[in-house]
Amino acid sequence: MKPASTLTLALAVLSLLLFTACSEAPEDDGPAPVTYVHSMDGAPKSLDPARASSIYGKTLVLNLYDTLYRYRYLARPYALAPNLAAALPEFSEDGLTLTIRLKEGVRFVDDPAFPDGVGREVVASDVVYSLLRHFDPETQSQGAWLWRERIEGLEEWKAAGADYDAPPPGLRALDEHTLQLRLTQPYPQIVYTLTQGYAAVLPREAVAYHGEGLGTHAVGSGPFRLISVDRTRAVLERNSAFRQEPVSLAAEGFDPAFDEGLGLERIEGRAPPFLDRLEVEFIREDAARWNAFFAGETEFLKLPVAQFDRVLESRDPVRLQPNMAERFHVQAAPEAGFVYTSFNMDDPAIGDHPDPDQDERNRALRCAIVKAFDWPTRNQQFSGGLGRVFPGVIPPVVPEFNPDLDPTSITHDLEGAQALLTEYGWNAENLPVLKWGFPSSVTDRQLFELFRGYMVTLGFPAEKVQPLVYASFGDFLRAFTNREVMLVTTGWTLDYPDAENTLQLFYGRNASPGANNGNFDDEEFNRLYREAAVLEPSPERTALFQAMNQRVLDECAAISGLNRRLLLLWSRELAMQPDRAFVGGYFFRFIDRLTPEVP
Amino acid sequence: MRSDAVQQLWRSRGWRFGLGLGLMLAAIALAVGFGWLGPDGSVGGPQWQGASAAHWFGTNRLGQDIFDRALAGTATAFRVGGLVTAGALVLGALLGAAAGWRTGSLLDEVMLYLMGVLDSVPIYLLAAALAFALGGGELAVITAMTLSFWTATARLIRGEVARLRTREFVLSAQAIGLPAPLIVGRHLLPNAAHILLVQGALTFVAAIKTEVILSFLGIGTLENVSWGLMLAESTQDLLAGHFGNFAAASLLLFLLLLALNLMTDALQDAFDLRETAA
Amino acid sequence: MSLAGYLLRRLVHGAALMLGVALLSFTLMVQFGPDQTFELLGKNPTTEDIETVRENLGYDRPFLMRFGDWLSHTLRGDFGVSAANGEPVGPLLGRAFPITLALVLPGFLIGNVLGLLLGMLAAWHRGGAWDRLVLGGSVAGLSLSFLVIIIVLQLLLCTPYGLNLFPTRGWRVDGLGSYFYYVTVPTLALITVSLGYNTRFYRAVILEELGREHIRTARAFGAGGGELLFTHALRNAAVPVLTRLLYSIPLVLVSGSLLIETYFGIPGVGKIAFDAITSGDQAVLLAIVVLTAALFVAVQLLADAGSRLADPRLGSS
Repeated sequence: MKPASTLTLALAVLSLLLFTACSEAPEDDGPAPVTYVHSMDGAPKSLDPARASSIYGKTLVLNLYDTLYRYRYLARPYALAPNLAAALPEFSEDGLTLTIRLKEGVRFVDDPAFPDGVGREVVASDVVYSLLRHFDPETQSQGAWLWRERIEGLEEWKAAGADYDAPPPGLRALDEHTLQLRLTQPYPQIVYTLTQGYAAVLPREAVAYHGEGLGTHAVGSGPFRLISVDRTRAVLERNSAFRQEPVSLAAEGFDPAFDEGLGLERIEGRAPPFLDRLEVEFIREDAARWNAFFAGETEFLKLPVAQFDRVLESRDPVRLQPNMAERFHVQAAPEAGFVYTSFNMDDPAIGDHPDPDQDERNRALRCAIVKAFDWPTRNQQFSGGLGRVFPGVIPPVVPEFNPDLDPTSITHDLEGAQALLTEYGWNAENLPVLKWGFPSSVTDRQLFELFRGYMVTLGFPAEKVQPLVYASFGDFLRAFTNREVMLVTTGWTLDYPDAENTLQLFYGRNASPGANNGNFDDEEFNRLYREAAVLEPSPERTALFQAMNQRVLDECAAISGLNRRLLLLWSRELAMQPDRAFVGGYFFRFIDRLTPEVP
Repeated sequence: MRSDAVQQLWRSRGWRFGLGLGLMLAAIALAVGFGWLGPDGSVGGPQWQGASAAHWFGTNRLGQDIFDRALAGTATAFRVGGLVTAGALVLGALLGAAAGWRTGSLLDEVMLYLMGVLDSVPIYLLAAALAFALGGGELAVITAMTLSFWTATARLIRGEVARLRTREFVLSAQAIGLPAPLIVGRHLLPNAAHILLVQGALTFVAAIKTEVILSFLGIGTLENVSWGLMLAESTQDLLAGHFGNFAAASLLLFLLLLALNLMTDALQDAFDLRETAA
Repeated sequence: MSLAGYLLRRLVHGAALMLGVALLSFTLMVQFGPDQTFELLGKNPTTEDIETVRENLGYDRPFLMRFGDWLSHTLRGDFGVSAANGEPVGPLLGRAFPITLALVLPGFLIGNVLGLLLGMLAAWHRGGAWDRLVLGGSVAGLSLSFLVIIIVLQLLLCTPYGLNLFPTRGWRVDGLGSYFYYVTVPTLALITVSLGYNTRFYRAVILEELGREHIRTARAFGAGGGELLFTHALRNAAVPVLTRLLYSIPLVLVSGSLLIETYFGIPGVGKIAFDAITSGDQAVLLAIVVLTAALFVAVQLLADAGSRLADPRLGSS
């Protein structure tokens, strides 16, 4: 073949490909659609509500599906509002029976799953189905733990073969628009659980029709409907049939001190959603996410920590550089969670020991490590100095947080730590080998180096601080679930604004494979936990929580903790107040553009 | 090895320059190995310092001296590159010679099949899968690359042994009853030494380049400092305007690869080996 | 042996090879691959939940049964579903493949054409200044890491630190303009990384042809350089050149696209492979490996058939 003809052929193939690669049809004529381009630092694994475990999944699920309840747009501290439900639940005298009325006339979006492809009304039995689905072994739910052993008859229903036509006594549709839940014991957090992506309502037809395909399809009744989703972006458009509910900013918790100047006033009295089209870009790499934002390709950014210095003029209060402030708004949002390192109490080299003397020496060793850990530097280097270091395991984002707690456990005290080691007879020869586990990533490795640096200063020989590297996060999870990792560093993302959600991380019954990955099992703590679990929020309950927190501190069961602050940036062309706590992007429905984009 | 080729080698400026540069970097790697150079593991210095007399390439996120870490990366490069090269050459020479000794035999067929299978899997996927299977970390990466890279050498040695196999000296050695492994080891492989030399240099280059990519993908060396790791870190630093990590790692990486490529080139010229096939 | 018989034999070989690839990758990626169990579990799993997930994933079944099952499905064209989002693997790859092809093809073509031209230039002036310049440049090119090239190009062309002309990531192609907008920087990266290898290869091939008697004679009689290089040398070198081009296709498609697509956030085969590697999405990874191997076998067959057609003497062996 002559080179010229090769080239011609190649060009022909190329142009053919070009036209097959064009998948998006040109927009219809008419007024330019109001579009908003969001960015997230990761991609959802699945859009199936039963697998809405990550912030990325929740963000999309909550916009595609309805939940019974939601958080108010602007209210801080967080407050609940009815969503698909007509009002907050009515509780029976004993607090065990909830009756929930549904709004009427809410419809699922059109989908081939329905006969004739037309969406039908959302009814109470859909809610029953959606919650029961978590207990169907076929579903592989990630959210079942929220309701396990809480709702009457669920376990029996599952054991009897998960027959949806014979729902358990604790979860029933009384009529088309009334739902009744019966709890096995008081569960003060139950309404919170009904705001989560896991509690999103989907029709039985969708599961029958799409099956596993629900990972990439959505048949909901939320403010948006799904156009497409792949590994790099999702495209949503307005659900034109979404119920008309005009916004009252006052009811949403508008606070002039915090929400003024963002243009939010323009949505007062209008019915969401205000966007015709919502694009969500999934950009894992910090550099790419920043570049795309700065170039105007996306309009929202969770600012990478490395960028804080270049963007901020001042950190307290958080203020942008003038050239940035012209284009962007900024909000410093405390993350709904915290990072901490737990000691594996099952490991006799560092944790509980049958010999009381050795047990006491181990405790001293843990306390010395806690003292030698330099949280302020850690905060500076990895969270841009904006995070909040707090003692214990009740982070600043929950109402039970105690700002006046003794800060000893988070104060870098090298002499104190070394004195403790000497007092209990620890020296370079008899110190145990510390094994710090982490999944393979650059940042996790840097955190290990940081820890090793602190331990070397404390007096550990460098070779006694070893990395346990895992090829994937799943392998790391498996290892610490199997109790193989001595020091487990993880972040906990709160499911709802209640300290119970973090204290359960140290409850003995939740030891591995549960979320108590340090396997802390303290009699006193467990007793207090059981006592507090059934109580409504109250000063007595807060006192119990504080006592539990103190147990964790006294036992030096964890190096804790850091509540990071996220810097959220968004374009000044948008009227919005973003938030990614607890449930993620439920605020999308309230976003509006100040100046509709001219294409 | 032919002496005229060796003479030609030493006349080549590329060889002398490449060797000099390579030896210098090897000396750095050794010094790091003995603990005379490189980081001391301390953290907590001021982060993101610019270049200065004390810190030639500034400091990183943890306040560590970047140049120290880049020097330590030299040791990792030589360790990873060296072990992979050694492993791939030994495997390739032994298995290639075994196959080439009796072409067409069952052993040969099995070897060809095995090599065909390994070569049909894209290198990153094979290395990644092996690294995962072996649990990650430096040893896993070294093993993975060795198992992926030995086939190239084995193919060449197989061809060379098959070619020399019918030569007079081999036939007479066989006639006096020398056992095959001895003939291969004493007479055939020394005659293929130039192939091993060139393959060694090529494998070294491939190992270092692949380690960088694997590190970036998150499956490279994590126990020690490597240039790949520094480059992976630098993709986060760059957007904050910190170029130290990137500059130091890519500079040393370039120098080592340049040294090896110059040497490879000179060797190929001297021994008249040019890959005109793929 | 007839060509048809020969090809049939090669086909059987190819099938055996693919079975080997399948077995190898299944062993590595499934038996010893990352464990998905705990990523699929919720926050407070019970031992029973763990068992259920392991059962659903098939982890509790013997290796040979799992392999057999997977093989029989694959042979029927069913690659299973992605563990990441439950999407069938076939359509997933079907959507990604055209993107990858459109992404790497320009770089592949231009890289080879440029390499050919530079190789000719160097070969024609063997030992001269041009030759030394081209060779020196190609050694420098060989010494650059792909990652470094990508980082530098992105920094220079796509960010405010440089010219900021092109997008940093993504792939929203709906016409020729947007295609050039998204493909330019990846193409430059692919050209840069391959140019050194290509130039040296073409230089060596052309040198060999220029060394032949008839070309030396023609050159002595004053035949033009262009005619000699393009007509005679290139035509004679067609077999090694086409062989190399064919053989590099599977590697460029997967290995080349892996880094580019990951760094530029392009939803092609490489990005899917990367995501599957890091999350242990076995169905996807296996499909990619097996399809690459199939491509490899096809390429080998093609190359063989091609060189036999070009040189009938090979047929008699």
